[in-house]
Amino acid sequence: MSVIEVSHLSKVFGEKVAVDDVSFEVREGEVFGFLGPNGAGKTTMIKVLTTLIPPNSGEAHVLGFDVKREGKKIRSRIGVVQQQESFDQGLSVESSLNLHGLLWDVSGKERRKRTADLLDRFGLREFRKTKTEDLSIGLRRRLQVAREFVHDMDLLFLDEPTVGLDALARRTALDFFKEAVKDGLTIFFTTHILEEAEYLCNRIAVINNGKILVLDSPSNLKRRFVATRSVEFSLLEGYSPELLKRLESLEAVQRISRDESSGLYKASTKSPEEFIPSLYRLAGETGLHVSSIYVTEPSLEEAFISIVKENGK
Amino acid sequence: MNPIIRLVYRNLRANLDRITLFFELVFPLFFIFVQGFAFSGIVPPFELGSGRVISYPVFLAAGAVTLTVINGGTNAGTQLWFDRKNGMFEQILLGPFSRAQYILSIILTTLIIGIAGSLLVFAIALPVLGGAELTYRGILLTGAALLLGTIFFGSFALALSVMLKSSESFQIVSQFFFFIFLFTSSVFYPAERAPEPIRTISFLNPLTYTTDIFRAGLFEVETPFLPIEITLMSILAVTMFTVAVSAFRRIKV
Repeated sequence: MSVIEVSHLSKVFGEKVAVDDVSFEVREGEVFGFLGPNGAGKTTMIKVLTTLIPPNSGEAHVLGFDVKREGKKIRSRIGVVQQQESFDQGLSVESSLNLHGLLWDVSGKERRKRTADLLDRFGLREFRKTKTEDLSIGLRRRLQVAREFVHDMDLLFLDEPTVGLDALARRTALDFFKEAVKDGLTIFFTTHILEEAEYLCNRIAVINNGKILVLDSPSNLKRRFVATRSVEFSLLEGYSPELLKRLESLEAVQRISRDESSGLYKASTKSPEEFIPSLYRLAGETGLHVSSIYVTEPSLEEAFISIVKENGK
Repeated sequence: MNPIIRLVYRNLRANLDRITLFFELVFPLFFIFVQGFAFSGIVPPFELGSGRVISYPVFLAAGAVTLTVINGGTNAGTQLWFDRKNGMFEQILLGPFSRAQYILSIILTTLIIGIAGSLLVFAIALPVLGGAELTYRGILLTGAALLLGTIFFGSFALALSVMLKSSESFQIVSQFFFFIFLFTSSVFYPAERAPEPIRTISFLNPLTYTTDIFRAGLFEVETPFLPIEITLMSILAVTMFTVAVSAFRRIKV
């Protein structure tokens, strides 16, 4: 079942086309990544889907409701962590969580229970009496993310939710999202940290200049768009110009070099499966011994750069 | 719970600075207990209408109560400014609320602050007012004055805060306008005795209508202008509210 259905949607600001004839769907219970460079149209898409701004043309349905006509029905069943920070001035962390629950009409008993749980889950307990304006940016961000979980929702929009969080807090938040997805939540996720997208997303759409360039699973994107992989190895005997020369002539090798300081050889190849046996064979023929070898997996970042650059051309 | 009530509760809990509220209360009290008595030696008692003669401190005390209406109005603009500055404006609009509910909640919060503040100032000023005894007509008129005044000045401050680009400029511009409203109104002096052109300006001033209606209720005064002032103030309050809503709807998110 589709939680979000977007069909030929466009949004224009004056001369600038922020979202250009975009179509996609988000399935129930998945984490859908929406990636793109700065100004690609990600936040505009979130604003349209969360009914903050209307589209100029096309259709979009969220949880079965039309974004143009049924905004309130949509908003009552979604959560949104915005890119910009938002906090209630003059309130403590605990009061802020509690008040957010009240705004969403969560019962007093349930609010207290969820507030206590979220204070622990997001490491905010020791700051529960601190005023929101006195918190560090990272702590305010944690509160902003935690706050959305005080109320029930079917779909959560996360617009770069981990900006300002340290590595530990980021991982805690991502794991919390994963857990929520297991409980049936669907997430629409934008980030500039591609490791996060890889860790969390089931499918990813890459958007640039308002258009979706590609939509696939993270592993398929890497397979499709990262042509080369790197193989790093070292020799017991150290540097061998002869082996280097013979490896360079292999068809499977695109580029090979040796780092003087570490002594590691690094080969870029489209086919590690062909390169590695050839390496062992050639090393044996020249009386050398491979002491270590490993293949670096392609990253989503490489795939993303390749997709965006390809589109730029 | 009704969404507007939830929003009003939230507005009362967040954004309202207690120190600001305290000084908003002290401000009218200063006029009542310092300026009123300081001027009583040089301003003799005068007739307010319907043969009712009152002293200057009593005249000023009634006017000072309506000052809280203006202060409450400033709060409306400040609330919106804090919400926009702290990102809560968009966050609330992303919740199960409409823009109309949000603006209505700010006006209602302003009404609560304005009327509660007025009642408090009124209670403190009672010894000066000689233990005023309100009739039903008096309660209706004083209530209407506070209600219409708060809607007008709250909406005015909201419209200003939408139009101005920074909270600093909002503070300066709103204070400028409110001082004009204040010193060209009948809060400090009877407008009909002021020299031209101040008299004409004060007859066009909504704070004059608010104060006159309030005094008419408080002192059981009947003037030929009272029905006109009530009508004009009602029209102005509705018009300014419409302007504020229209300006508010244009806020870009």
